[in-house]
Amino acid sequence: MMDQALQHLVNGTVLGGTYALLGIGLTLIFGVMRVVNFTHGELYAFGAYMVYALVSLLGLNFYLSLVLATLLGVALGALVELVLLRPLRHADIDSVMLVMIGAALVLQNTEMWVWGGVAKMVPTPFVGTPLVVGPVSVLPLRLFVFAVAVALLVGFWLLLDRTRIGTAMRATFQDPQTASLMGVRVGLVHTMTFALGSGLAAAAGALLGPVFVVSPTMGDLVGLKAFAIVILGGLGNLPGAAIGGFALGYVEEFGAGYLSTEYRDAFGFLLIILVLAIRPQGLVAARERIG
Amino acid sequence: MGCCMLRLENVTVRYGRIAALHEVSLEVREGEMVSLIGANGAGKSTTLKAISGLLAPSAGRITWEGRPIGGLAPRGILKAGIAHCPEGRRVFPHLTVRENLEMGALLRRDRAGIASDLDRMIARFPRLGERLRQAAGTLSGGEQQMLAIARALMSRPRLVMFDEPSLGLAPNLVQQVFAIVREIRQEGLTVLMVEQNALAALTLCDRAYLLETGRVVGTGTGAELLASPHVRAAYLGGHAAAA
Ligand SMILES: Nc1ncnc2c1ncn2[C@@H]1O[C@H](COP(=O)(O)OP(=O)(O)OP(=O)(O)O)[C@@H](O)[C@H]1O
Ligand SMILES: [Mg+2]
Repeated sequence: MMDQALQHLVNGTVLGGTYALLGIGLTLIFGVMRVVNFTHGELYAFGAYMVYALVSLLGLNFYLSLVLATLLGVALGALVELVLLRPLRHADIDSVMLVMIGAALVLQNTEMWVWGGVAKMVPTPFVGTPLVVGPVSVLPLRLFVFAVAVALLVGFWLLLDRTRIGTAMRATFQDPQTASLMGVRVGLVHTMTFALGSGLAAAAGALLGPVFVVSPTMGDLVGLKAFAIVILGGLGNLPGAAIGGFALGYVEEFGAGYLSTEYRDAFGFLLIILVLAIRPQGLVAARERIG
Repeated sequence: MGCCMLRLENVTVRYGRIAALHEVSLEVREGEMVSLIGANGAGKSTTLKAISGLLAPSAGRITWEGRPIGGLAPRGILKAGIAHCPEGRRVFPHLTVRENLEMGALLRRDRAGIASDLDRMIARFPRLGERLRQAAGTLSGGEQQMLAIARALMSRPRLVMFDEPSLGLAPNLVQQVFAIVREIRQEGLTVLMVEQNALAALTLCDRAYLLETGRVVGTGTGAELLASPHVRAAYLGGHAAAA
């Protein structure tokens, strides 16, 4: 019994790392820009397809492909911000939401058109036999994915907490008008925020694409889950999103392990309903956020 | 007194279709302390926002040392040497005191100069020095006002604009804030201050402008306005003689 629980704990942690990446990207965009970003799941799919294209079609090195796919996600995010969001800076939230839903549809259908409906596999340099440590076993690829996700989370936190641009981003998050009085180019911060948030989504996709399979609709469920994570942690709350990511990972793993694998994805949403009913501000109080 | 540093000529500012400032003209000379007084909604904050670039005038000219600056972004105005300490303090609540001060120096690149200015601020505001690593949102109202003032000074401005620095503070703190403003101007900085506390504002300043419903309706030295029957009746509750 204990061994099984330990195994679920490990699986949940590994899954939670990538969920945290997804959630932080989305909550950052909401916090700084007040944009409900429906393209987030599609950027996740984009990252996965880019890794597939770079590794399988161009024959590039796997690790290099992960880096490039993430950077391409950053570039696509910057493009979406500059072309779609910048002109809508002062528009009401409804118009922005509609535009973002449209953008998500365009991205998904483009993927379908370019890559076809058949799911793709991404070859990796990792062996398929699990590493066994005592009662717990884990695939080397999954361990690698977790390590990279944690490294990205730490790097992102350092960027926000320790650099000039990070401080300017947090200031903009808290009070855009006063930030502009300090000389912050708020428009530039918005572009950077959206690009970085999109890059995190693409990185999550690039990491998980090889773990599962790559398909045009893979962004749908992940987009929903990203919203779940953000709501769990409290909208615009960065540590909350990290905690929400791990919470979702554990709930899914333990739910699938002890209750039903069929309803794996449903457990997360059940958790949101519970959290919204009992603690609608999210798991972490807003004043504890670092933003 | 030096020559005219900042000049507004017939500046009109609108919020949508409603004009909040109607052809406002005023000037600030180098080394001067100028007060802008008026009732709630008179357009005092709007005037400062137009100068600092938060709002673009729909008509009129704003010049800084002869150069037109109307419509420039706040970043450009700050680079030109004008800092705006906004109404309601507006410290960044989740940034530490030190980070707030560093935000004030965001456009500067002289690391050594920034470090020495930080030390000077700590010497001037010891309570901030004791709380450098504390989130600014946890400071008391008076401490937050000191932080907002210090943050504005961190950009090393040549003109600093204060919007109601005494707002919501206990009487002893109000005196402290005005003492600091007096010190700052004695150090050679040019000051434009908005205040509802007309008595203090007029006593402290060299010259003042009186704003009513978006129009300049009076100007003169502080002493002249303190003596004006209209100002006494409307802003000093008839007690100006005591000043
Ligand atoms: N964002 C805004 N949108 C629309 N109208 C505004 C806005 N900000 C200010 N106003 C209006 O412009 C006028 C001037 O406002 P302003 O804030 O400049 O007054 P003030 O003199 O600073 O007043 P107070 O002493 O209360 O701070 C007021 O009638 C106000 O209602
Ligand atoms: Mg005001």
